[in-house]
Amino acid sequence: MTVFFLLLGAAAGALLAERQGLEAVTGALLSAGELIALVIPLVIIAIVMAAYAQALLPREIVERWLGRDAGWRGLFIAIGAGAVTPGGPFMAFPLVVGLRAVGASLPICITYLTAWSVLGIQRILIWELPFFGVDFVVLRLVISLPLPLIAGITAQWLGEPGRH
Amino acid sequence: MVYAYLSILGMALILGVMGHRHTEVNHATVLHRAWRQLAPLLIRLPIALIAASFVGELIPQALFGEWLGERSGLSGVVLASVLGGILPGGPTVTFPLILVLERAGVGIPQLIALLTGWSCFAVHRVLAYELPTLGWSFVWRRWLVSMILGPLSGALAIAWL
Repeated sequence: MTVFFLLLGAAAGALLAERQGLEAVTGALLSAGELIALVIPLVIIAIVMAAYAQALLPREIVERWLGRDAGWRGLFIAIGAGAVTPGGPFMAFPLVVGLRAVGASLPICITYLTAWSVLGIQRILIWELPFFGVDFVVLRLVISLPLPLIAGITAQWLGEPGRH
Repeated sequence: MVYAYLSILGMALILGVMGHRHTEVNHATVLHRAWRQLAPLLIRLPIALIAASFVGELIPQALFGEWLGERSGLSGVVLASVLGGILPGGPTVTFPLILVLERAGVGIPQLIALLTGWSCFAVHRVLAYELPTLGWSFVWRRWLVSMILGPLSGALAIAWL
C-alpha cells in the first residue's frame, strides 16, 4: 500500500509539475504538510485510546449479550456494541464469528457489522473528525443512526445462511 | 479542530485511568500494541496525504461539481454510493481520497452517501476478513441489505439540509 502511494504521488507530482509548473507542486506540498501536522497527533492519541479500549472490553461479555434469542433488545445492543467496538476488522470479524458460534442470528450480526461500519466511534475519531470537522460528523451520525436497524430488519427476510 | 483534540484526549485519559485501575490491563502491553498499529501509519499516512493533494490539483473541478456536486441531487447520491462501494482500501487510503473529492466540490449528501457505501460494502474488508471467516452465504446477504444504505443516507441528508 505504501508503495502504491509512493508511485501515485510521484506520478501525480510529475504530471502536476509538467502541466502547472513547480509552483503548483510546492503549493500542494504545503497544504499536504499542514494537513499532516494536524492529523498525525490526532491519529497517535486515537490509536493509544483504542488500544486501551480494546484491553478493557473483553469479547466474552459482548458474546453473552448478543447470543441466541437476543430479539429486539439484541438489535439495539448490537448497534451500541458495533459503535464502540475498537480496533479494525481484525477485532470485529473474530467477534462476529464468535457470535455465530454461540447462536446469534443473521439480523443481529448484520446490525452489529453495519453499526460498526457507519457508527464506529474509533474511525470517526481517528479519521472523520480530523478530516471533515464536527458539523459534518454530527450530520452524518444523525442520518446513520437508523441504518443498522434497517439493515438488520431487512435481513430477517433473507433466511439464515448455512454455517461456514 | 480544537474540539476534536479535546474530546479525543479526554477519552484517551479516561480509558487510561480505567485501565490503570483494572488489574488485568498492563500499560506496557497496551502501548506496545498501539505502537504496532501506529508505526506503519506514520510512514504511509504522510505519503498518502501528499499523493492525494497532488491528485486533487489535477482533478478537473467543474466536471466533479456537475456529477457529484450539491446540485446533482439524488442521481449524484446514487452515483456516489456506487463509487463508494467500489473504492478499495481501508481508511488510510480512502479518507485522503475522499478529502480530495470534497475539495473538488462534491456535495455534502453525496459525500455522506459515498462514505456509507464505502464503509458498508468495503470490498477490501470482505476479501481479507469477511469471506474467509463468514463465507459467501453470509456476505451476499449482507451486501444485499447494504445496497440501500448509501442512497438512503444521501436521500436523508438531502431532506435534512
